[in-house]
Amino acid sequence: MTLRDLVVIRLGVAVNLVIGQIVAALLLPIFLDAMGTILVAALVGPRAAILAGLTSQVLAAVLSGNFAWLPFALVQVVIAVYAWGAARRGVFRRLSTALPAGLLLGALSGGTAAPIAYFVFGGATAGGVTLVTTVLRAAGLPLSVAVTTASLSTDLLDKTIAFGLVCLVLRALPRHLAARFPALTR
Amino acid sequence: MSAPLLRFAHVTYRHAGALAATLVDVTLEVSPGEVVALAGAPGAGATTFLLVAGGFAPRLIGGTLEGTLHSAVAWPGIVFAAPWTQLTGLCQTVLAEVAFGPAGLGLPRAAVRAAAEHALERLGVLHLAPRDPATLSGGELQRVIVAAVLAQEPDLLLLDDPAAELDPAGADALYALLPDVAAAGAAVLVATPDTERAARVATRAVRLDGGRVVADGAPAAVLTDTPAARIARAAGCPAPLPLDADALVARVAR
Amino acid sequence: MIGYRPGDSPLHRAHPYTPLALAAALLLAVFAFGSPGAVGAAVLAAVVLALAGGVLGYTARPALALGLTTWVLLLVLHGLLGPEPFVAAGPLHVSAAGLRRALVLGGRLTAILVAFLTVLAVVSPARLVDAMTDRGVPFARMYLLVSTLTLVPRLRARAAQVLEAQQCRGLRLGGSPLARVAALGPLVLPLVLGALAEVDEQVLALDARGAGRPGRRTALDPPGDSALQRTVRWAALLLAAAAFAAKFAGHAL
Repeated sequence: MTLRDLVVIRLGVAVNLVIGQIVAALLLPIFLDAMGTILVAALVGPRAAILAGLTSQVLAAVLSGNFAWLPFALVQVVIAVYAWGAARRGVFRRLSTALPAGLLLGALSGGTAAPIAYFVFGGATAGGVTLVTTVLRAAGLPLSVAVTTASLSTDLLDKTIAFGLVCLVLRALPRHLAARFPALTR
Repeated sequence: MSAPLLRFAHVTYRHAGALAATLVDVTLEVSPGEVVALAGAPGAGATTFLLVAGGFAPRLIGGTLEGTLHSAVAWPGIVFAAPWTQLTGLCQTVLAEVAFGPAGLGLPRAAVRAAAEHALERLGVLHLAPRDPATLSGGELQRVIVAAVLAQEPDLLLLDDPAAELDPAGADALYALLPDVAAAGAAVLVATPDTERAARVATRAVRLDGGRVVADGAPAAVLTDTPAARIARAAGCPAPLPLDADALVARVAR
Repeated sequence: MIGYRPGDSPLHRAHPYTPLALAAALLLAVFAFGSPGAVGAAVLAAVVLALAGGVLGYTARPALALGLTTWVLLLVLHGLLGPEPFVAAGPLHVSAAGLRRALVLGGRLTAILVAFLTVLAVVSPARLVDAMTDRGVPFARMYLLVSTLTLVPRLRARAAQVLEAQQCRGLRLGGSPLARVAALGPLVLPLVLGALAEVDEQVLALDARGAGRPGRRTALDPPGDSALQRTVRWAALLLAAAAFAAKFAGHAL
């Protein structure tokens, strides 16, 4: 892991932690808290992206005090590896390929988060996901289905937009900056 | 005359992804004890020259280097214009930040602390030692950064427009340090648009244009575009032209 | 609020690894406990930790605030909508098994929150860095965890600046959902591209300061440690591991 990799990972983590501010200002129901991880996957590689995801998870817990999110580290790994695979296939070259890939990731990450939420917290974690879960459960759906549906719906939108934004960032990179990242297949 | 620290022989360097070379056929030597001012328009290659001289390019930023660069440099130090990006981010106090370099050498604690405090004192910011770097002004922070670099006792000190964030008094003080650093046995290369201040302390000047060395010699001969020199030239003063305000005043008063 | 509170308690004066180890042990153990009683004991242990650090006031309030929604939802999700049989509790019919589940899960969350908020309050980042340096933790690991925290406020300030600048240029923050999603581009791109442009200089500066150098770094002010503390740390972690072993062996607590 070179010094450059470390600096880029640090940037990715910071983006993960800060981008929520912008999203909140726009009143959008997403977090984009994996955008930095996806960016690192495209710029550096899978190991770096996993490190970025895990570090983000820990620091988000430290900053917000909500350590209940720590067990979801596995989801970060899924996101990191998928994003790297997608980058290698040139998915980020066009929005028309990036957005569907993001949708698929949303399904994957939501699907991974659901069993964690179910087993670790019985379907209840802080925030909007739990509210959706409760409503669905009250409507009569079995708990596991309710948890999965809740995880998925927020994640689909979130990851689709994240992939779209990373695609735009990579395309907007000036030539001399892009040349610094050998992992970018232009 | 000591052996050269750096020897450029027909060095051409092209940044990664760039279409043209930034340094073209550069041949020169730099010896310990020199303070070399690098002049040139933005984009002429001065910053790149510093990076290549310090062994940072192509090692850290890629690119291709042709020609040969012989370097006897053991530990280069580099100072950029903007202080914020030069912080390690790991240190909660100014003292820790400045001690970071010496601490990496595994020296005993007392020696590390002494090196850090001495460097802070040289820059006149010892009183900032317990402060959090995030609370400092741009000028204070830049002085801390320079102290941090000096604390490592580099044998090659590279500066890229180091006084950009400093007020005039701070800038004067910073440039005044450079001869002392050179006297201790280091070579100092400073790239700056502030040719007047550089002229006051430089022992030699090199002008770059389009990546080529177009002038290399005494500051009085090379740095002829300082405000004072331009005034003197317009007034018909004979060579060597005065390069800074004090010299101009002295010449006129004669 | 959350964050370091200077103080003089035994936890403050202890080696930073000690409160960390105790909280980690609690985190492990709490997932091994399956009954409201055992989880309740864990919550009590966390409270005792906070008291030992003299920070109960600082940790209790955020812990309750952060956990409140989850508690309510847990009680509804499992208590009211849980499996049969139901028992009467005042005017409500609650599922007995569901209520038990809610208490266990909620208790776990509360114990974890209190324990880690306590750690945040008694461990100063600078002291932790010194402790880690002294133990030979490589620069890379410390850099990622600690220096990112110093980058975050700067990036936040820049995000606010970009927000303001784009609004001056006519960007509207409201409007249809599609318009708001479209507004993400002009806000996110300058922030991320600007940060990427700084990477070169940061790498150069770090390298020049010897950050990439292998070998042991000198800690300026390493915190003192003692055999007692080391014993306490190991004992706590071993007990937690034992609780887990017991759970898998079928003797759930």
